[in-house]
Amino acid sequence: MTSVNATFGEVAAERRIASAPLSHVSIELGHLYMEDFEAGPERLREQFRRVAPWAGTVRSSWQDRVPGGRARVSTCFLIDDYFSRFSTPAELVPMVLEAAADCDLTIDYIARESACAVSDGVELARLVEDRLVNDPPPDTNGSRPPVKESGWLCNGARSPQVGTVQAMGKANRWAPPLQNAKRGHSIFVDVELWDENGGKRTWSCPFLAAVWQLLRLGLLRTDGRLPLRPVMREDAFPDDWESLPAVMQLNPAAAPFSAYTTLSVLSPRFLPVELAVRTILSQVAVDGDVLRQVVARSGGEGIRLEEELVDRISYVFA
Amino acid sequence: MLVMGEVHTGLLQNSGEIPESTCRDVLQLLSGERVRVSRRPIVYAVSPDLLTGVDCRLPSASQSRIRGAGTVLSRSSITGGRVVQGSSFTRIERSGSDRRQPWSHYLARPGVVEVLGKVKSRDLADGFAEDPPADGLDLGAISARFLDVVQSSPLLDRRAPFKIARTRLRWVAEEGEPAIRFTLHSEQMRTVRLVHTGEFTPAVADLCEDLALHDWLLTALLVIIERARIGGTPGPEAAVKLAPAVDHLLHLWMPSARVDDVLSAYWESLDRRPGFTRQWQSLVDRVRDQLAVHTLAFLREKSGGGAR
Repeated sequence: MTSVNATFGEVAAERRIASAPLSHVSIELGHLYMEDFEAGPERLREQFRRVAPWAGTVRSSWQDRVPGGRARVSTCFLIDDYFSRFSTPAELVPMVLEAAADCDLTIDYIARESACAVSDGVELARLVEDRLVNDPPPDTNGSRPPVKESGWLCNGARSPQVGTVQAMGKANRWAPPLQNAKRGHSIFVDVELWDENGGKRTWSCPFLAAVWQLLRLGLLRTDGRLPLRPVMREDAFPDDWESLPAVMQLNPAAAPFSAYTTLSVLSPRFLPVELAVRTILSQVAVDGDVLRQVVARSGGEGIRLEEELVDRISYVFA
Repeated sequence: MLVMGEVHTGLLQNSGEIPESTCRDVLQLLSGERVRVSRRPIVYAVSPDLLTGVDCRLPSASQSRIRGAGTVLSRSSITGGRVVQGSSFTRIERSGSDRRQPWSHYLARPGVVEVLGKVKSRDLADGFAEDPPADGLDLGAISARFLDVVQSSPLLDRRAPFKIARTRLRWVAEEGEPAIRFTLHSEQMRTVRLVHTGEFTPAVADLCEDLALHDWLLTALLVIIERARIGGTPGPEAAVKLAPAVDHLLHLWMPSARVDDVLSAYWESLDRRPGFTRQWQSLVDRVRDQLAVHTLAFLREKSGGGAR
């Protein structure tokens, strides 16, 4: 009898990972807070005027890099509806679009910041929190569970607590905190991820910004599926924020929302926030299969991506 | 360069075996990630892979001070709703640099620990298979936590049908001419040195988990038979003590069930010598013979009592 090659599969035993459509770069044209809104449309126009030349530069540098100049560039704009609620989408979105158009900018996607916390019943912020793998200080050998300060994340070893007593009865003296991968001297960063008040958790702005970057990089999955897909705009914008999709596509011809790389053009006042975002993102373990998927896709079109995801994110502080 | 791992295996702290749905709930260790379950030829459920960051001394037979940094990959699993395992492994690779890199560098290589500086693969492998330094990489502690997290689940009733120690199986895999060496150390400690052709794949870790599972089954059955003190205690008493083996263990022997075809030759060679399955079969026969003898005695006693 000849031997028979039998294969047997079980769906529940296999892992399936959806792949995200990806642009080359996702450009964040701005981030709107209540105070910006209160300052009126002129403040917005001012911001867009500042951003426009940088966006143009990045677009053309990708066009040079991609064969045939067919770079896929998408633009997005984030509105804070998490820390403060103001106005309505019906009033605000057209104002933003108009101000952008005045500066020859097209906004392809508009997103709500609260979607970075929860979107369609998926707690994206929790998802990311669960994937934090803390940067271990030297002599972390796995014998004890990782030291975690609830709600905080740092890039090294914290100072010992002054006043506590050591084993030999000597009181601890102050010692400096240490950055793990320091170059000469430490730049120690300790970031608050969330706080809780009366049982209600509020995620910090840098933490939601980290989720936002991961969404733009197309690196999040929930049960192997994409956690959110942009929804095409309807003719009228709703009167309440809840009715606005997490990410809404405004331009039907837009390149995909997520991209291999991201660029954010921000005011220098956001520099500390972005340092915190990088501290968080340096400790997020993205699924290995998703990482490989993105590398294979970009490799397939002749693009070498940076290995470390923080290196796929760039900024212009202007 | 090489891969190091450690598997801890124990009896699930529950009175009966747990159904597949409970396995899923118990092993749900990461939000947004499914527990994978296969049902043939035996129900096997495994948690998502999780990472632990380390930056520490690595084992070395020559007692050299070797530092490595990176992540260890771990998971918990339940087989047949009855046996729980905590398993960790990491690939040890040479680093391009002597410096500790920013953490994002290591997270781009999940499950890899990079050696800072020079190192000989053999020195590391020998060091790990022998007695790793106390302040060195402690895969055992990590695996123990992945076993504990299952055992402490509120979904378990913590009334195990018998007491049995956990076993630990430490393994090292290197590339080269195929070979495997399985060593029993103490009551609980085993090591496996495995040489595989071609690159390491996670299937090697699956094989080591499968070996650990079956070694534990064999150990548990031996312990139960020893406790029954066959011949030394009255028949009915011995039979009662053997019953848990029938209720909870005998159906779990499925060597090589989840082992990749490419690697099944390793199982087969261990099955020839020392012959795990042979020993298992002889123990199973012994248990069944004892129960048969006891049943016969019981029936004879009953019918004899009726005649009087």
